[in-house]
Amino acid sequence: MTTSAEDGQDPGADLGDLEAMLDAVTDHAVVKLGPGGEIVRWSGGAQVLTGYAADEVVGRPVSLLHLEEDREAGLMGRELDSARDGRREFQGWRMRKDGGRFLARVALTPVHGEDGAVSGFVKVFRDATESARTESLFHGLLDSAPDAMVIVDPDARIVLVNRQTEALFGFGRDELVGREIEVLVPPRFRDRHVGHRSGFLADPQLRPMGAGLELSGMRRDGTEFPVEISLSPLETAEGRLVAAAIRDVTERRETEQRLQRQRDEILELSTPVIQVWDKVLALPIIGTLDTLRATRLTEGLLEKIARTQAEVAILDISGVPTIDTQVAQHLLKTVQAAALMGTVSIMSGVRPETAQSMVHLGIDMGRLRSRNTLQDALQLALAVLAERAGTAATAAQALRSGGSR
Amino acid sequence: MTEDVVPVMRIGDTLLVALQGDLDDTTVMAIEEQLTREIADTSASGMLIDVSRLGVVDTFIARVLARIVAMVRLLGAQAAVVGIQPAVAITLVELGVPMGHLDTALNAEQGLALLERLRRNDTGAGWL
Repeated sequence: MTTSAEDGQDPGADLGDLEAMLDAVTDHAVVKLGPGGEIVRWSGGAQVLTGYAADEVVGRPVSLLHLEEDREAGLMGRELDSARDGRREFQGWRMRKDGGRFLARVALTPVHGEDGAVSGFVKVFRDATESARTESLFHGLLDSAPDAMVIVDPDARIVLVNRQTEALFGFGRDELVGREIEVLVPPRFRDRHVGHRSGFLADPQLRPMGAGLELSGMRRDGTEFPVEISLSPLETAEGRLVAAAIRDVTERRETEQRLQRQRDEILELSTPVIQVWDKVLALPIIGTLDTLRATRLTEGLLEKIARTQAEVAILDISGVPTIDTQVAQHLLKTVQAAALMGTVSIMSGVRPETAQSMVHLGIDMGRLRSRNTLQDALQLALAVLAERAGTAATAAQALRSGGSR
Repeated sequence: MTEDVVPVMRIGDTLLVALQGDLDDTTVMAIEEQLTREIADTSASGMLIDVSRLGVVDTFIARVLARIVAMVRLLGAQAAVVGIQPAVAITLVELGVPMGHLDTALNAEQGLALLERLRRNDTGAGWL
């Protein structure tokens, strides 16, 4: 199997060259079979892979590599028959000389004689045990994930889905693989989705999909459900794939909505504004005053002022457990907003310990008038009104007397 | 220029001004010119500025109001702002616009009473 460089014309030397090259391939076994499956030629790679030397196997049927049960079931004949019309690829378990098994990925190609009949086969196989193990590990990992996982190729065709995807969307694996990812998107979002996915492929990075948007998925039966999706790029030998983890958030959405409804109801209940006297409103504040409640409170009070044209508002804080700087801040804002409309505020229900802690905290309520009890506050309110009524009368009088001071 | 840009109504000793629509710098200058002139011409002792029909009340308008009030006071009259709507009041407080120096009232009627109180305080013990 050697050749001289000067003698390139010799066809025998060329063939030898070819055989040497074939023998140099050690991760693939190349075997020439006769029409009945008997081994004619055995490459160096085949020896490395199976442990059999050429002189041990040439002339014997290739089924010597098959597992015993396969051999008895006539697997070799079926494989050869299947490849008579053209190249076939398959995989199966094979046995080495030492009895060890390996998963072979096989390509079987018929060789035709001059008369056109099949004169033999070329069988090329390799050990796919390791990659099969990695793949099954990968599939196992995907199937064990709590979320539906979908992997798509750069054209957004589905390459792989896990079991949860089948359960969530109601599609079988076979129905999804090869189709565009938009099959899982409600029709009205599909056009936009196509644009978004191109954007993701242009700058792929791990990120949640549609930040700030409420995403929907569509089942096989056309029903929709809210989802959360996170995307991540996968660099593979087949190019850049995108993995999407899809979570059904129906339950969480419902819980959130219920919570929101309850919060709204509580807010409504907890910020009443009462008209206690002509032109006097009272606002009993009960419980903790957070930003949201304070906003509602201010809105409620101001609306009522606009409606009743009340001149005095009493903010009763006897139901507030503690007044800290934040709560004081909220109260001051309410007072300021009311003042801008022209309504005077009076704070009431300040307990001794509240007064102490407020001063200790350095809370400055400005010129806000404050009273110990609601009753005192109401008296003050009436005094304010009386004083204002006095000036109003004077103003009216001045008007009647012709506008002179 | 003596063109009137805002309607001014005289009630006794008080001028009632209704600001309307959207105000820009040019309009504001014209308004300031008109109002100071009217105070001087009529010797009015007070002015009520109604803002209930302004499209927006923001920091710009807040500064405008403060300026007009300061001018009116310099001319020896009292000024108060009336008709600030709930949403406007909340916005101004949230924006942190300092409005403490403005005297406000719910409506024209209460505004007149407020001006009367301001006049009284003004005639009381002075600074010097």
